[in-house]
Amino acid sequence: MTYFMFLLLMALVVGLVAVASNPTPYFAALGLVVAAGVGCGVLVGHGGSFLSLVLFLIYLGGMLVVFAYSAALAAEPFPEAWGSRSVLGYVLVYLLGVGLVAGIFWGGWYEGSWVVVDGLKEFSVLRGDISGVAVMYSSGGGMLVICAWVLLLTLLVVLELTRGLSRGALRAV
Amino acid sequence: MNPYVLATLLSSLGLGTTLTFASSHWLLAWMGLEINTLAITPLMAQHHHPRAVEATTKYFLTQATAAAMILFASTTNAWMTGEWSINDLSNPIASTMFMAALALKIGLAPMHFWMPEVLQGLDLLTGLILSTWQKLAPFALIIQTAQTIDPLLLTLLGISSTLVGGWGGLNQTQLRKILAYSSIAHMGWMIIVIQYAPQLTLIALGTYIIMTSAAFLTLKMSLTTKINTLATTWSKSPILTSTTALVLLSLGGLPPLTGFMPKWLILQELTKQDLPIIATAMALTALISLYFYLRLCYAMTLTISPNMINSTTPWRTQTTQTSLPLALFTTAALGLLPMAPAILMLTT
Repeated sequence: MTYFMFLLLMALVVGLVAVASNPTPYFAALGLVVAAGVGCGVLVGHGGSFLSLVLFLIYLGGMLVVFAYSAALAAEPFPEAWGSRSVLGYVLVYLLGVGLVAGIFWGGWYEGSWVVVDGLKEFSVLRGDISGVAVMYSSGGGMLVICAWVLLLTLLVVLELTRGLSRGALRAV
Repeated sequence: MNPYVLATLLSSLGLGTTLTFASSHWLLAWMGLEINTLAITPLMAQHHHPRAVEATTKYFLTQATAAAMILFASTTNAWMTGEWSINDLSNPIASTMFMAALALKIGLAPMHFWMPEVLQGLDLLTGLILSTWQKLAPFALIIQTAQTIDPLLLTLLGISSTLVGGWGGLNQTQLRKILAYSSIAHMGWMIIVIQYAPQLTLIALGTYIIMTSAAFLTLKMSLTTKINTLATTWSKSPILTSTTALVLLSLGGLPPLTGFMPKWLILQELTKQDLPIIATAMALTALISLYFYLRLCYAMTLTISPNMINSTTPWRTQTTQTSLPLALFTTAALGLLPMAPAILMLTT
């Protein structure tokens, strides 16, 4: 199990490197898919299966799909994947940084953190993540109202920023 | 802008700051900061010219980075100590990361590089909101956590901010960049004393807001953005010419104007804490800032720049802008020094 978690976490870091190395957004979305997918796997390994399923549904199945469609609309004639020279440079530097940090922090820092979501492991019906969602809707109701306002605000912000089609875009004049 | 959208954005600006003020949980404080960043973004880009859009992009990137660092610091603290409360930031990694994030948010040196360019790309009213209102929420968090942050970091941030604010402003001819560097310097003054007497930070913040509002509103009233045009505004409103000179000197920290109050109290507190070298360094860096404030006074009030004869005295019609805020802030920026004991008592 430890090795499997290790594999998932390695895939997470590699996926993040793939996003951060600045390829064409279409390929960066692929990196995000990989990172989110294995992140859900890590969550499941710690007992948060409901949270993992919700993350898959909403993040990968909702937001990332919309982002992939929008990125496809802004397609470039010469897309740069991770093999092209500039992106490969970034990938190598970031992997070097990851290796450096892994070498510094190797062993010892994570042993206290690999615990499950709640203490009862397999012996309860209501797991930590499900009851957490319930608490968020009951005690955290005010925060949810503020989150709803923030979503409305974000919609208005984006609509206001992109009003006028190409007039307000960041372009070289 | 559409009035409904404008009302939503302005009320969200208020909501964000209020949320951060009222919160004791890190997530809620972070939400308030993000609401502020989101809400001011369309206000910054409302004129849609490339410089404004570039300023908006830079502002959004820096503020989002800072907010992500705040989130990272608070989750690190929660992981290590189990505490989500703002007052219990006991892990040194988390508190240092948090202070760096907030320094990026308010534009303390050496994380100040975004400030002049961002302020330069905005119109004066949005620049005013950026310089004053957007500083309130991060300072609420800094004051609450200052006791747990490494004193050396705070001192270094303070001294470097005043130095950068002074030296950076010396070579500027654009007024918004000068006000940006002035903001950086004043933030340095506020940070240097926060570990010893947080009420002086509040006083410094309050007086800074008053003085910089007076400065921005004056520039908006006379519609100037550079020293060249500032030099010819003396004929538009003689009263404004004289009071602006005094407001600028107040920003520079000269007695008997309001700007002297925070500097005096901070220097006194630093001396009481047995830090004479830091106090002397702060006073000398204030001198550097004073030079460019004096240059602005000279250009506006103390000389009449070469001009065409038939353009020296324009018609002084009644202004269509609201002048009450300018009058209020100017009066406060010039006359609050005798209220120093009352203000100290109110903030202790």
